[in-house]
Amino acid sequence: MSITRRDFLHAGCSAALIAGTAPAARVAFAQAGSSNDILVYVFLRGGIDGLSLINPIGGADRGHYEQYRARLAQPLSGPHASLPLNGLFGMHPRAARLRELFQAQRLAIVHAVGLVPTVTRSHFDAMTYLELGTPGSQGIGSGWLTRALDSTSSIPPTAVMPALAAASITPTTLLGSARAITMANGSDFRINTLHWSWDDDEAGISGHVGALTRMQALWQGTTTWDAAGRQAHNALNVVRPIDFGSYQPGNGAVYPDSDFGRQLRMIAQLIKANLGLRFATIDTGGWDTHENQGEPTASYNLFGNLVQNLAEGLHAFYTDLDGAAPNDFMNRITIVVHSEFGRRVRENATRGTDHGYGNPMLLLGNNVRGGQFHGTFPGLAPSQLFEGEDVSVTCDYRRILSEVLIRRLGNNRLGQIFPGYGNYSPLGVVNGPDLPPDYGSGSELMFRNGFEA
Amino acid sequence: MSEHAVSTSRRAWLTGSKGTAAPRVASAPLSAWTDLGPNDRAPPQAPNGLGLRNAALEARPRESEPSVDLRVPQPPFAVNVLGKMGFGPRPGDIEAFNALGSTDGARLQAYVEQQLAPSSLPDPVVDAALANPALTTLTKSLTALWTDHHLGDPPYLTRVKPMRDLECATLIRALHSRRQLQEVLADFWHNHFNVYGWEFVVAPVVVHYDRDVIRPHLFGNFRAMLEAVARSTAMMYYLDNVENTAAGPNENWARELLELHTLGAEHYYGVIAPDQVPRDPDGIPVGYVDNDVYEATRCFTGWSIRNGHWQFPSENDGTFVFRDTWHDRFSKYFLGLFLPANQGISDGQRVMDRLAAHPGTARHIARKLCRRLVGDNPSQSLVDQVANVFRTHWQAPDQLTRVYRTILLSAEFAQTWSGKVRRPVEQLVAGLRALGTSWYPVPPADWTWTVSQALLYTLQVAGQRPHNWAPPNGFPDRQSAWLGSGSLAMSWKLMAWLPNLREQFSTGNWLADVVTLTQNALPAAQRSATQIVDWWLARLYGYAGDAGRRQVYIDFLRQNASPTEALDLGTDAWNGSDLKRHYTQSRLRTTVAMMLCAPEFLRR
Repeated sequence: MSITRRDFLHAGCSAALIAGTAPAARVAFAQAGSSNDILVYVFLRGGIDGLSLINPIGGADRGHYEQYRARLAQPLSGPHASLPLNGLFGMHPRAARLRELFQAQRLAIVHAVGLVPTVTRSHFDAMTYLELGTPGSQGIGSGWLTRALDSTSSIPPTAVMPALAAASITPTTLLGSARAITMANGSDFRINTLHWSWDDDEAGISGHVGALTRMQALWQGTTTWDAAGRQAHNALNVVRPIDFGSYQPGNGAVYPDSDFGRQLRMIAQLIKANLGLRFATIDTGGWDTHENQGEPTASYNLFGNLVQNLAEGLHAFYTDLDGAAPNDFMNRITIVVHSEFGRRVRENATRGTDHGYGNPMLLLGNNVRGGQFHGTFPGLAPSQLFEGEDVSVTCDYRRILSEVLIRRLGNNRLGQIFPGYGNYSPLGVVNGPDLPPDYGSGSELMFRNGFEA
Repeated sequence: MSEHAVSTSRRAWLTGSKGTAAPRVASAPLSAWTDLGPNDRAPPQAPNGLGLRNAALEARPRESEPSVDLRVPQPPFAVNVLGKMGFGPRPGDIEAFNALGSTDGARLQAYVEQQLAPSSLPDPVVDAALANPALTTLTKSLTALWTDHHLGDPPYLTRVKPMRDLECATLIRALHSRRQLQEVLADFWHNHFNVYGWEFVVAPVVVHYDRDVIRPHLFGNFRAMLEAVARSTAMMYYLDNVENTAAGPNENWARELLELHTLGAEHYYGVIAPDQVPRDPDGIPVGYVDNDVYEATRCFTGWSIRNGHWQFPSENDGTFVFRDTWHDRFSKYFLGLFLPANQGISDGQRVMDRLAAHPGTARHIARKLCRRLVGDNPSQSLVDQVANVFRTHWQAPDQLTRVYRTILLSAEFAQTWSGKVRRPVEQLVAGLRALGTSWYPVPPADWTWTVSQALLYTLQVAGQRPHNWAPPNGFPDRQSAWLGSGSLAMSWKLMAWLPNLREQFSTGNWLADVVTLTQNALPAAQRSATQIVDWWLARLYGYAGDAGRRQVYIDFLRQNASPTEALDLGTDAWNGSDLKRHYTQSRLRTTVAMMLCAPEFLRR
């Protein structure tokens, strides 16, 4: 991280900047608690066709797959062949970068994850349930990441940036959070539109207090809006000293030239800046491929382009943050890749796929038990499909997220994070110590709206 | 500065698959899709018989209600009304409203009737702006748009020219139209029937969608608007019905028709069998299931566009066509209604009839309209009342006008203040209106970085560039979506700019010449910080707002002058040893910027 000269001069406190804290922000460091781990939650909006990302290359399911997917099936040989992961499953040919991570045992794949018990083929219902963490209910006023953040005891209340949504608008996972920063683009995230003479404080002019400081006094009331205003000003203060343009990724990592790539890069930089970041969300869309999904052998391949962007982005992020001690970022980062549902097993007539159900979930990190599949693939025989149409779900998505929260972040308060969820047991996707789940409702947290005074 | 939204692989969220031209504009925000809040939902269903309701969860308090904020004085009634029925007052609008009657009720009634008859309001400023030669596509017919901007795969700039014209036209109208309610409603219905304006085949025809599909029905009939949408080239491509055939059904349109456009997801019963859905007293299923989506899909097979399909290569003008040979001719069963075989295009029309007359649709749309026009959490009684009007008059040509009137003349409308926040577009437009600007945006002929482009780009970073929402549900309409640091801070960035911006950034006319306006309004002897601040507060807010914040502005503007000492507004130069004379004109503009970035301006 580097600091722009102008910011540096205005800040007038180089020590604080080097430590990664902005002068006007509350001072904090990423304190060592029971865990110092970071969860990066990647949401693939629109419902990725998991059967195209991870597809059967052997066994009985291969035959079913070829039958259902006459045009979309990936071949077993040739330049567009599926990339074998083991004898039974392969990966989309444009996901070569992901396969490298799988082969390096850093990437794990969980079969047939989904929303349980509620079933919906609505994007908006599915995403809402998933992101609130309450399948079947939409009444709760906060997202599961908000509650995970608030109940992770190792996060100090003074953390500068404990959670980041790489987006313009706060995603539902972080609904109601008074502590998360929402920011689509770090370089843009500053008020640099006032006249220079009165925007920042001028340290060289006695008594000069600029508008950016004075404006914070406009949000000192007790309402929701005042709290939101203070939160936004705090975010601006935290981000202002950071120079996003000059960031050099580590280990020669090259991010794809896309919003996803730029936002992953921003997250990586902020992790390295030691601002106490513990939860980050990032979205990438375009997965609702009802038509012209792209055939593996066609010159134009929408799905392939999306997959390549995803694979190259995750690979760059991993490479950037994988490093020697003392940082060892990838030892304490777990990336979870999730989508609202899978797609119909049968391709439709417009070379696409309609809304379905079960889908693989990907986990990436040095403490992920990678290079292997977890869970149970339910099979593609007609009798094995959900409603004769979709890949069945054999794993509740909350089970995987709970395991990451417990084993990696030391947070066992499942009753608060996923109310209504019980009977948790680890599937064994990540390393880390087990803790008995706390199914207590934690009403002190549940009833707390982050914005309330 | 350059438009750094360029991307090589960016795609529309939905079905951005028809071509290779990546939008030069960044993709719409992909998060915060779910616009949920209290009262939107029937209790959750257990669609597969497994999803047992969690009673404890249901009983928990929902999104917290905004508490009464004693720090924000109630604004005058005119400010309240003009902020909800429009994009906020321009100079003179409050006085004009107050002249409409002798009581608040009489003024409101007169204003509502005026706004419900937009054609009675001449709109010369908008007419002149829309005739700007930079806006070349707004009057092109659908076929001309199709031919000039889609056929032959023209350069990307040509392809998206209609979209670039429309986003400026949308802002021009919001900014300068006297028909403010019309513009609020155009925004509402565009979001209700959202298409992603930058999508490959949508961008060339989006002007038609705005002009010929949405706007003619704003004050008319929902069923008529629905059919216009169903036949529109933009929606046909956006939700894929263009390729929905008996041999190859595509359920994208049918699903969103039920889930978003009519009944709403609150009436979705999941994957259970149709006969398990409860019936209302009239024997109509109270909601829909997946089977209804499939049956509606079949009903709309053959609804397509003349697009040079290989079976009909000579037909290629971009207009609607019903292809009987693509239609699933067998009988269907939709929402409790048996549809006999061989009914052709009327299958889809009967589906829309069924939906437009359904009480669930009335409730869904009534709640959305109340949320837009009144506040985030309209009362159930108001929603029921509005839904009743919607349903009773579902075949009336002035159905929607009756619906709006019911909302706007309700006690709840008059009494609700600060029930929601202004979204980024609404803040920008309200700010420019309050400043009294005569400026308006136009697209540059190429990708030159102009003030118009800079403002549009910053709107995008704030999360709300017009017509730039990729998913089919439209921009969120609850403050919980817009109070995050991303949209709030980036809205401030925009608002801070307005008093500091000239037509070519740092040269040319000011968008609003704050210094000259002040000098013209106040004689030299009356230019104390207190007098200047009070004049600007009245102009921007229509009232003084919070006293503590007023003091912040006064103290910043006066610096080491006394609150009553006249300031010299004639200079703008360095004077670090006497701050009351340090960049005084810039300090005045900055003071106005601060007022635009305050709670009074965020709320409506």
